[in-house]
Amino acid sequence: MNGAAVLPAQCYFEDVEKGVPLETPGITLTAAHVTLFSGVTGDAALRDPGVVPDLLPLCLSSGLGWRVPRPPLAVLAFMGFEWRFLGPVRVGDTIHSVSRTLTKRSMREGGVIIEERGIVNQRGETVQSGKLTLLVARRPAA
Amino acid sequence: MLSFGLVDAQPAVFFEELSVGQEFTSPGRTVTESDIVIFAGLSGDYNVLHTDAEHMKASIFGERIAHGLLGLGIQQGLASRGEPAAAHGLLSALKWKFKGPIKIGDTVHVRSRIAGKRDGPDSGRGLVTVERRLVNQRGEVVQEGETEHVVERRKP
Repeated sequence: MNGAAVLPAQCYFEDVEKGVPLETPGITLTAAHVTLFSGVTGDAALRDPGVVPDLLPLCLSSGLGWRVPRPPLAVLAFMGFEWRFLGPVRVGDTIHSVSRTLTKRSMREGGVIIEERGIVNQRGETVQSGKLTLLVARRPAA
Repeated sequence: MLSFGLVDAQPAVFFEELSVGQEFTSPGRTVTESDIVIFAGLSGDYNVLHTDAEHMKASIFGERIAHGLLGLGIQQGLASRGEPAAAHGLLSALKWKFKGPIKIGDTVHVRSRIAGKRDGPDSGRGLVTVERRLVNQRGEVVQEGETEHVVERRKP
């Protein structure tokens, strides 16, 4: 790679501001999402008709997080999370996610941030929420 | 004769029939490039960690790795084939750690243990806590955590 290559903009550890809420666009859950998700995970758990797999909204929120008015976070690793399932999510519901950074901790290889995230449906109800721990890269030396 | 061909058809098990300390092992599953591509398309998470083989050659992993949440989803699917139905019922809470990468071609399985039982949101249901570990072909725990499930009680 030559030195003139322009790297796409990324949000590095130094750029993350605590407490600033980020709201994603929405996504409408369809039977196709359920079929693809059940197929790739092999989740055979029984659930009420029309209710989507428990983990599907969280997985979609990770993609929605790329569609906010901020360059994508330079995530080196998703370290862990705590999550609560507060209410059912059904095919036809439109969900979006709202998040903000709670804490930042500097580490040798980058920085650890704890992000609070909620999944909200079209009625404004928070259906899932929790805290995610992410290892984020530092801005490379110029 | 292999005995784990059709373990999907687990009979329903009620709260009363699960006991703390019970352990289960799921079948294995080999994670493929296709799994990662499908998951990127479905979730919209195209992070280079999962999608750019050339970029990842220079990383500490040396190659693309599966999304953490794909591993968690596969874990959920495997658990649903290795545990009694009640033990993987409606999730109410989850605490999870991603400890190591899952690479293309790795074969993972789930080891789980019933860790706790307590009263649930109403008299008809209880809460069951399950400790789960996602283990690769070298015996390394790549993900682990606790899942909490709402489980029906037997009707009186």
